[in-house]
Amino acid sequence: MLMLLMECHGSLFLRRERVKVKPGESALAFYTAENRSSAPITGVSTYNVAPMKAAIYFNKIQCFCFEEQTLLPGEQIDMPVFFYIDPEFETDPKMDGVNNIVLSYTFFKVKE
Amino acid sequence: VLTGGAFGGNRGVRPVPPEKGVFPLDHLHECDLEKKDYLACLKSTGAQSEKCRMFSKKYLECRMGRNLMAKQDMSELGFSDADVVVTPSEEKHKLQSPASDSKERK
Repeated sequence: MLMLLMECHGSLFLRRERVKVKPGESALAFYTAENRSSAPITGVSTYNVAPMKAAIYFNKIQCFCFEEQTLLPGEQIDMPVFFYIDPEFETDPKMDGVNNIVLSYTFFKVKE
Repeated sequence: VLTGGAFGGNRGVRPVPPEKGVFPLDHLHECDLEKKDYLACLKSTGAQSEKCRMFSKKYLECRMGRNLMAKQDMSELGFSDADVVVTPSEEKHKLQSPASDSKERK
């Protein structure tokens, strides 16, 4: 089984969760973001998969990313990602020893 | 051609959009209960996603029922009829299955 650790950076607070998944099985993971400022924040998220060599096996089915999202002041919101690890991950010798994949999101403000 | 992403990151690996699109955010917290049930399951199973499939299925079904996700067949998302949870609070939505745990394939 793989362990998936997640982080979320940027102007929203950091929360780290861990989900154990099997290649080939769809899985749901949650990030949580909170706007602790006194103004709305609008931004878009981009993601990173580490180690980079595992990124080709990471498939997002659906997520909150790639589109602008707005959080009102004080708003706390869940940001789900529905994904699977390609089953071919298990037979790739380059993936030997890769037991943890870190999925991190960075939220970039697009307007003040 | 492998290029950096829109923000210049992920050197050599291009960010790929999600296969089935984007979730709108659940600003009204309409599916908070289903989310909490799923996270509680993860907590009680040592974060094992396969043991909590019935809860993630319910969460996605909640989204579909509230226009927070495009409606689609759950089998297209990797779920089977065995991914069912029946609890006292769900009597009015009870699915016709005796299984309270999904039978996981090895």
